[in-house]
Amino acid sequence: MSNTKKKKARSVDRETGISRRTFVKGIGAIGSVTAAAATTASAASWGGKTMQDAFGDFFQDHYKKMTPEEIEQALARIERNGNRKTGVDIKCENTPPIPGVVFGYAINISKCKGYRDCVYACVEENNLGRDSQMQYIRVLEMEQGTRNMEKADHYYDPETVPQEGKYYMPVQCMQCENPPCVKACPVEATWKEPDGIVVIDYNWCIGCRMCMSACPYWARHFNWTEPELPTEVVNPATHYLGNRPRMRGVTEKCHFCIQRTRKGRLPACAEACPNGARIFGNLLDPNSEIRYVLENKDVFRLKEELGTEPKMWYFSD
Amino acid sequence: MALFRFLIDVIREMFRGSRRYWGWIFLLAVLFTQGLFSYTHQMQTGLVVTGMSDQVSWGFYISNFAFFVGIAAAAVLLVVPAYIFHRKDIKHVVLLGEGMAVAAVVVALMFVLTDLGRPERIWHVIPYLGRMNFPDSILAWDTIVLSGYFLLNLAIMFYVLFLHYRDREPESRLYVVFVVIGMFWAISIHTVTAFMFSSNPSRAMWHTSLLGPRFISSAFASGPALIIITLGVIHSATRYQISKTAIHTLALIMTIALQISLFFVGVEMFTDFYNEGQHGASMRYLFLGLEGLGKLRPWIWSALIMNLIAVTILMIHPLRRNMKWLNTACVLTFVGIWIEKGMGLVVPGFIPTTLGEVFEYSPTSTELSIAVGIWAFGMLVFTLLAKTVIAVELGELKYKKPIWQ
Amino acid sequence: MPAHIVRLLVLLAAFLILALFAYVPAGFAQARQEVTEPGIIVNPTAVEFSIFPRKPELTYYPCTQCHQFLAPNPEVRKLFSPHPSTLDHGDQRIWCLTCHKINDRDYLTNLLGENVDFDNAPEVCASCHMQRHNDWMFGGHGKRAANWQGERVIYSCPHCHDPHNPLIEARAPKPPPPVRKGLERPENVRETYLSVWESLEKRDHE
Repeated sequence: MSNTKKKKARSVDRETGISRRTFVKGIGAIGSVTAAAATTASAASWGGKTMQDAFGDFFQDHYKKMTPEEIEQALARIERNGNRKTGVDIKCENTPPIPGVVFGYAINISKCKGYRDCVYACVEENNLGRDSQMQYIRVLEMEQGTRNMEKADHYYDPETVPQEGKYYMPVQCMQCENPPCVKACPVEATWKEPDGIVVIDYNWCIGCRMCMSACPYWARHFNWTEPELPTEVVNPATHYLGNRPRMRGVTEKCHFCIQRTRKGRLPACAEACPNGARIFGNLLDPNSEIRYVLENKDVFRLKEELGTEPKMWYFSD
Repeated sequence: MALFRFLIDVIREMFRGSRRYWGWIFLLAVLFTQGLFSYTHQMQTGLVVTGMSDQVSWGFYISNFAFFVGIAAAAVLLVVPAYIFHRKDIKHVVLLGEGMAVAAVVVALMFVLTDLGRPERIWHVIPYLGRMNFPDSILAWDTIVLSGYFLLNLAIMFYVLFLHYRDREPESRLYVVFVVIGMFWAISIHTVTAFMFSSNPSRAMWHTSLLGPRFISSAFASGPALIIITLGVIHSATRYQISKTAIHTLALIMTIALQISLFFVGVEMFTDFYNEGQHGASMRYLFLGLEGLGKLRPWIWSALIMNLIAVTILMIHPLRRNMKWLNTACVLTFVGIWIEKGMGLVVPGFIPTTLGEVFEYSPTSTELSIAVGIWAFGMLVFTLLAKTVIAVELGELKYKKPIWQ
Repeated sequence: MPAHIVRLLVLLAAFLILALFAYVPAGFAQARQEVTEPGIIVNPTAVEFSIFPRKPELTYYPCTQCHQFLAPNPEVRKLFSPHPSTLDHGDQRIWCLTCHKINDRDYLTNLLGENVDFDNAPEVCASCHMQRHNDWMFGGHGKRAANWQGERVIYSCPHCHDPHNPLIEARAPKPPPPVRKGLERPENVRETYLSVWESLEKRDHE
């Protein structure tokens, strides 16, 4: 009873005479000095980044939950990191989808001769790892008369193409309207954008590769190692959800060259094909080339029975 | 106060033991440390140190994950007879079974973590902090059910142990509710893991409704196999005596489960080979080889033969009652199902790829080293838990009220 | 009827009949006129587009540099350098002057004998390849330069198909895809695929 009436004495350590409050303050002071020193300390302690960038990267929120300022900061971090790693002044943008646009793609398999020009144009445009040997597009050399992909050759390397008795079918991400990979991802690191492109936030992906099991088209590829990007091959015009420099341990795939197509340009593969076998455009525009093809040619899609609703068609004429 | 003492006593018990005990702990610690070194190497270089590729994107780690989730689910085989049928002999060992479930879940979760490309981002799967794709993603479901199962088993185990420590028995009806939840939860963890594979129509070998039943039946065969072997070790190495009737019940359950499991394998083989089309390509690769490649053939055939020998032994009553024969059958079952459910199911699902390419996979030494480390860690967890359980159940660990109370 | 009324009526009828013959649909005239000039092609159903200029790519244009000094010779014969000496087009059904205007070498000509600018070469190709021309106009054939949105510039037929040797030549492909770093490509044993009739023939021969 009498204790409560007395004023509570400050807990003072008998030996040193330091009160608890002073102690905590002191720790705080030392801590902040250390933190300040660490920030200015050698960048190598954070894998090359500054401590701020490393923490910012780690605690970055999901793309759909970030405020515009946070996205700006994320873009700036990517530019700084990319600049440091490749020596090139990377520009990372976050161009929004164009309203009233859903992209579609058609490939004319009687025109495709199997050059693989598209494959390598994509590698150059999208900053694909040269050492990790990542390729988004795979051209299959199919036997004439069958659509059985088990009879296809992925590694054809004859003197000249096209070879007799074969036809060629490039396969890349189909940007499905009902994508099984989006459903499978446990952290929602991949989703379908309003313009139909299935995108990946490389800063959110945990690398579990569930999406790779789910994809019926072998469209998703994993960075088993750090992608190597020599300075001379870097494409500095990048998009956050597209071709900005990626890191190891994340999945990536074709994104219809989002950095180009959202600005009205054709994807690199369509531009590279010398035979005009690739037709790209806006499915919602009734006057577009892609609509003409879909309405007038005998188009088909791969593995349609799986219900994925791919937005890449094939036809021959 | 009692809880605090309990925890202190439990930790003290883990550090108390014979030379044999310490030798075993030391061995496990060495194996775990070498796995840790390999894992640092993997963390620094990336998953390129494994044998996985874009073609076969899940390998040894996920194979082990699927298998050990099954072992964890099999703990329910002890819980049901103990609490629903009030079998006293099995009640005697149910805590050890739950300890095995906890250890198996820990092993499974560790295998998933080592398989991740960016494990530091695992917090992304936590709801609200991160963004969990619930209810669409089966992997999100798996995260929830596995963490829940781990906590549930740990909680039930420690609740019972704590009560025994205080010389009491669990009486609250609420406790039974949690036990019943635990039984259904055990089935669900393995069904969700099966769904993780069977939900993919892109993989013909996995996209079968039989996968869930296959997983459960093979889990109920391999789980008891491990439990019987472990209980045998405990019986001979410690003072905790295991009754023969408990072992015989488990052996009987194992026999039936193994028969069903082999029946399912036979059914799959018929369905895929009778009118063979492209759907059967993975099975052909597994059993007969495809395009001249067939690294898994010797494995799956030896697994099948091991399981057939085991089921034959188990179906003969006198042999099943003989501990030597039973233990042999248990080892054969465990290894056979580990091969058939692990590498024999996960890897062929990727061969041929969805674009028809046949590309093989074999685990690298780094993968094997890390796997051994994780197994050792699981055995360490189980050893420490079992030590506690045995000490409490034998009455060696009892709550002593302090003098001033 | 009085004779002067009949004469008036006949004159009126003749005038009307002549007017009818002289009538030319406005669109038709406009289209015919634009064929001779390069520029925006307006087809009432296709999206407005322009053709990627072809003349800067032609080595010997303008042809009148030499042909102003040479007499036109309509005889079907083999020509000498600098002209391509063979015409692997149409299997001997056409020759040079089928498409090149004999009297005005700076232009091509169509089946009606009109001048067609080199930048409008698709008009000439359309005379025989109407189906392809339709596809090309609407975008189902050929290639669009640079953009899928906005200004539509499409490549002219000769840009890809050399009219003197239109078949696209086989060429070497770019290298095959690699496998993951650190792994080797396995030695797949692939059977030669036989079609149904090939396997039947093989079976019959054995």
